[in-house]
Amino acid sequence: MSEKVIQAENISKYYQLGVIGSGTLKKDMQKWWSESVLHRNQPNTEQDANSKHHIWALRDINFEINKGESIGFVGKNGSGKSTLLKIISRIILPTTGAIRGNGRVASLLEVGTGFHPELSGRENIILNGQILGMKKSEVIQKFDEIVDFSGVERFIDTPVKRYSSGMYVRLAFAVAAHLNTDILIVDEVLAVGDAEFQKKCLGKMKEVSKEDGKTILFVSHNLQAVRNLCNRAIYLENGQLIGNGKPDAIISDYLTKEKVEALEQEYENSNSAPGNQFIRIKSVRLIPQYVNELNIIDIRTPMLFQFECWNLDNQIKNDRLSVSIELYSLTGECIFKVMSPVIDVQQGIISGSVHIPGNFLNNGYYYISISFLDKKGTSIFDFPASVAVDIADYRENASSFDNWIGAIRPQFEVNLDFIKYNLESA
Amino acid sequence: MNQTKGWEWELKPHKKWFQLELSEIKNYSGLLQSFIRRELIAGYQQTVMGVFWLVLQPLFTTLFYVLVFSRIVKVSTDGTPPLLFYMSGSIIWSFFSDCLSSCMYCFIHNAHIFNKVYFPRIIAPLSMVSTHAVRFFIQFLFFVLIYLYYFICGTVHPSLYLLFLPFTLILVAALALGIGLILSIFMAKYRDIEQIMNFVLRFLMFVTPVVYPASIIPKTYQMWFWLNPLTPLIETFRSAFFSTPIFNTSYIFISIITVVAILFIALVVFKRNEIKVMDTL
Repeated sequence: MSEKVIQAENISKYYQLGVIGSGTLKKDMQKWWSESVLHRNQPNTEQDANSKHHIWALRDINFEINKGESIGFVGKNGSGKSTLLKIISRIILPTTGAIRGNGRVASLLEVGTGFHPELSGRENIILNGQILGMKKSEVIQKFDEIVDFSGVERFIDTPVKRYSSGMYVRLAFAVAAHLNTDILIVDEVLAVGDAEFQKKCLGKMKEVSKEDGKTILFVSHNLQAVRNLCNRAIYLENGQLIGNGKPDAIISDYLTKEKVEALEQEYENSNSAPGNQFIRIKSVRLIPQYVNELNIIDIRTPMLFQFECWNLDNQIKNDRLSVSIELYSLTGECIFKVMSPVIDVQQGIISGSVHIPGNFLNNGYYYISISFLDKKGTSIFDFPASVAVDIADYRENASSFDNWIGAIRPQFEVNLDFIKYNLESA
Repeated sequence: MNQTKGWEWELKPHKKWFQLELSEIKNYSGLLQSFIRRELIAGYQQTVMGVFWLVLQPLFTTLFYVLVFSRIVKVSTDGTPPLLFYMSGSIIWSFFSDCLSSCMYCFIHNAHIFNKVYFPRIIAPLSMVSTHAVRFFIQFLFFVLIYLYYFICGTVHPSLYLLFLPFTLILVAALALGIGLILSIFMAKYRDIEQIMNFVLRFLMFVTPVVYPASIIPKTYQMWFWLNPLTPLIETFRSAFFSTPIFNTSYIFISIITVVAILFIALVVFKRNEIKVMDTL
């Protein structure tokens, strides 16, 4: 049996809502008196919890983590993922329960914690490394590697306040990526930086966990990253642990529960809709044409993918634009990519659709992303994971229910012939 | 339920009383040094005068005190040259009050870091006190320079109390740290402390012999006056340099006991609550 490095036992976290202000002093005194002097445990918490002024951010969480594991935490915003990581990082205390561990913990809940704008990159690397729990000698030993990884050699003696935000993040992550601790806690930090740098960071994390046998606890909305990096996933919902197991199973479980919202997205305001100064998404919709009475999308169901967007840019009149639509499987493999013709556009609304026939895709989770391309074919705006769909399996007269392999599942007609031939008569 | 065995660390809703974990500070001494460095470097970036502000500030304050208290109000300085007298008072007082207020704001000013990483929280106030100690030391050297001039002229002469000088300064820092730590915990939840302390610090300055000598206090108030733990410390400092007599040496011991007690209580309270206060910050 492998060695345990973290054990969480009945972890709960209880928050008081609303303004902390007048009247709290009296309540605090009473609480202090009964808890510390009379040794009554948790006065009124049960009763308080029912009131609207309190919330259980976490409720009775139990899990164990072995050495060298990479654990991904998934769940919606507000499900308690970050609270849990903060408790493991010793930033806040649990209200009940205990958490035990072996080894040094470094938490990366943000990149560049403690960066001082007036100090140079060089000084910040050392300071940040130490804040994150490294020894000065360790930081100095890895200094060249860190600078190399960040790619800001030229500016290393410039105060970081003069850095571009991209450089700042690169430098900050470079320090973090070279942390030399037994347990590394990472919270959604990969949401920053460009795609290539993200890939570099993920690669680095994978390397750390595989080669150095470090334990990694990872929170991300990037399910792809969780799937790639982690050997186990923990699924939290409303502060409760509702799944703990193989990432594939947990992620599809998670997506099943979230799917209601995934079939369409609509935005009313062209200022706040996803997009940039050129393109803003008005709506994306996947309309299934149900073939069964139960209204379940299964492999036979044809679907229509529709989108509308605002073309905001009136500078480039009569500009030409095309759209690329890609369908990805849950594992991030592109199942297909289709291109629209190039059309002339002006300021206004662009709409389009693509028909996905039934009896074409295999069962499983898919998501569709759209890219808008200019006349040179360069991307103006990418809208990844615009809609997501779960396609159920369907088999007539099925004799077995094992997984049907294959990226797609077309119903090509397969011919099978038989000629009777008697071997003995020959 | 006793599963504590075999684990290096354990986190529970409540810490035990008197669990000071002072040895942890040693593991983080590198961070402490870096924090001090950061404060010292960053504090004077983009200033033309740079470190000179360190000596200019007490110098201006002193000149102002000399003008107001010595020339206008005509407070006695026990025969000590007013420049030296007010300078000694003002550098010690600003050392004390700077340490106290920076410790007091420890959670508020470091909230962004404390919310993201763990290290023993005491490192932050310790670094503040150390930074102020460095600043004080520079100001002190400046004071010694001026003192030497008067010494050569024969106006002042030191006493044996000079031997206690480092000890006195450590006590001043310890007192500021102690009070600051306790207040920082309360301040995290009750911001009223800030308003109260604005007033209390000003009040404290006037009941401590900063701008006047202890000898001008009327007999009836002498006892209360000397019970202020800062009074014997400042008076010892002055006595060391100016050979002024000390009212009653036993008050020095009372002061030491008070400071040690406050610091101990502060460490217990701080350590027990350092993580807990994060919920209310």
